[in-house]
This record gives sequence, C-alpha cells and structure tokens, in this order.
Amino acid sequence: MIASVKAVLIAVTLFFCFAATYGQQARTVTEAVQLIGLPGLKENSKGRLTVINGTLRFIHPQGNADVTASSIQDVVTGTDSQRVIGGTLGTLTLLAPFGSGRVLSLFRTKLDTLTIRYRDADGGLHGVIFTVPLGKAELIKQELIAQGAHTSIPTQADSKTPAADSKEK
Amino acid sequence: MRLNFRNPVIFSALLAICFAGSPSGAQENQSAKTQASAIQVMMIGADGIPVPAEFQVSLYENLIDQLQKKGVFQHVYRDGDRNALAAPDLIALQCTVQNFQKGSEKVRQVTTVAGATSVTLRCQFSDKGGNSLVERNITGNVRFFGGNLKATYDFAKKAANVAGENFSAVPGRNSHPTGP
Repeated sequence: MIASVKAVLIAVTLFFCFAATYGQQARTVTEAVQLIGLPGLKENSKGRLTVINGTLRFIHPQGNADVTASSIQDVVTGTDSQRVIGGTLGTLTLLAPFGSGRVLSLFRTKLDTLTIRYRDADGGLHGVIFTVPLGKAELIKQELIAQGAHTSIPTQADSKTPAADSKEK
Repeated sequence: MRLNFRNPVIFSALLAICFAGSPSGAQENQSAKTQASAIQVMMIGADGIPVPAEFQVSLYENLIDQLQKKGVFQHVYRDGDRNALAAPDLIALQCTVQNFQKGSEKVRQVTTVAGATSVTLRCQFSDKGGNSLVERNITGNVRFFGGNLKATYDFAKKAANVAGENFSAVPGRNSHPTGP
C-alpha cells in the first residue's frame, strides 16, 4: 500500500516537473548576438534571447539583461547576412593567395535582426540591436507584442516596406 | 642662404617666435569653445529618407557611446531623459539623415573598390533656448573591413570630435561619471 502511494507521489511530482519544463520550452529561446545597446554589455555579446513573464531577457555568461515588454516603443525585424568564416580568421583569409579569401566571402549565412527601442525609468530612450537565426526574430516580435510591446510595423508583410527593408544589395 | 643654428642671435630669435606663438594659439582655441557641462542626444531623424531601423538605433547608440568616451561633457543624457531638465547649460544635439547609401559587405570583400556604405547627417548643436550653436554635415563610411553598421561608428567618432572642437565642460565643477 505504502509503495503504491509512493509511486503515485513520484508520478505526480514527475508530471508537474515535465509540465513546468514543457511550459518553459513552449516559449521561443534562441541564440542571439547583442550588437549594441544593452547597458553594461560589450558589443557583439553572445547569449540567448527569450520572452518570459512580460520581459525580453538576454541571457549571457555574466548574467541576464531584461527589458520590460511594456516599455518597448518599437520592435522592428530585418534581415542581414554574415560570412560563414568570420572574426579574425575571416579577416586573415582575405590575405589568402590567388583571391581565395575573396571567394570565401561569397559563402554567407542569412540572419534576422531584431531592433527594439525602449524607455528607461527616467524616460531616456534606448535602442538595442540583436541578430538571431533566420526566422526567429518575427517569433520574438510576436511574443513581445502579445505581452504589451508596441511596433511601428505591425505585420510581417508590412515589414517589407523600404523603411524597414535591410536586405543586402 | 643656409640656415646656421650656430648663430646664437638667429637661433634665440627663432626660439622666441616659437614660444610666443604656441600659447596664444592655444588660448584662442580655448576661448572659441562654448562651455557646457551636459548634452542631450536626440533620436536620429530620417527626414523622409528611408533608413533601416537598425541604422537609426546604431547611429544613436554609437553617438552616445562616443560622446561619453570623449569626455567633453560631464553628463550625456538620452532623448527624453527627465534629468536633463535640471542641467543649467544643456546642449541639445539633433542629427538628421541627409543622405544614406547602403552598400554590401559581400561586395566590399569581393571587389575591394565597390559596395561602400555611407551615411551623411546634419548635426545641430543648440542651447536650451533652441538657438543653434554649431551646425555641421558629418559623413560616416565603411569602405572595406566590417559590416554596414560600422559606418555608424565612423560617424559617431567624427561627431564626438566635432563636439570636442566646439565645446568644453565648465571648469571648477566636480566631474561626475558620464551619462545614464
């Protein structure tokens, strides 16, 4: 009898654990690079981006940076691209003989950009730019809007207007 | 005629001219600067020119960053910051995009000569009463290395230099850490 009660308790506990975990995973969590804008963070900081409890959270090795969704005045998505081989190594490949470095520049991965503008407690305007994998920016934008953020470009179709189009020529 | 530095008269005369010239030049430079302890950077205006949102934000954030690093002003306030109202000698900086040409990093790296990104902004420094103190067109470029947004960094550095050439912090005040 006691063994069956224990088994039931364990099953119930496990059920709640799985439910909670599943609830967390249902939110979009994506790899991201903060290009500029978050206070106290260096440019090109890598981390993960998610929307949780009405807050845009950038999780990075030094901690978390939060921006309340309701303080966000504008969320805009765009697209960009970057070299497959980037950084210092990418720069060095440009010196490779017979123009082979230039050929490597043709291999690029597409990215989404997520640009937000928000006001701090003093009313000061901040801007933050993230790059995220292709297709993720729009999901985060939708989640932010659902939690109280504002946008000047409400739908994905409208984001293809010239003002927001950031595709490389 | 060969200049002979062993001639003491000529040598001392040259030295006298050098020493007399430099301090007065520096004083003129110093007096030409407007004294101000705080600046408020307004959001970048586009003036009908289609500029991607990330460029506007990058221009704004880089500008604030460079002004803080330059250290010309004791305080660098953001657009809308209520604390700026208390600053007695506040300078407002409004930059508006005049020309924007988006290049391509890929084209730059492949061709070297093409694909440059260029952004020109009209920067207006004005006092609390709205009187324009300095107006300048400043261009930011990226021609070879770096992404397109590097043009915004180039612009910000030049704009901070313009601020440094024209303004200085009020002497005799405690220097506080810059900006929010």
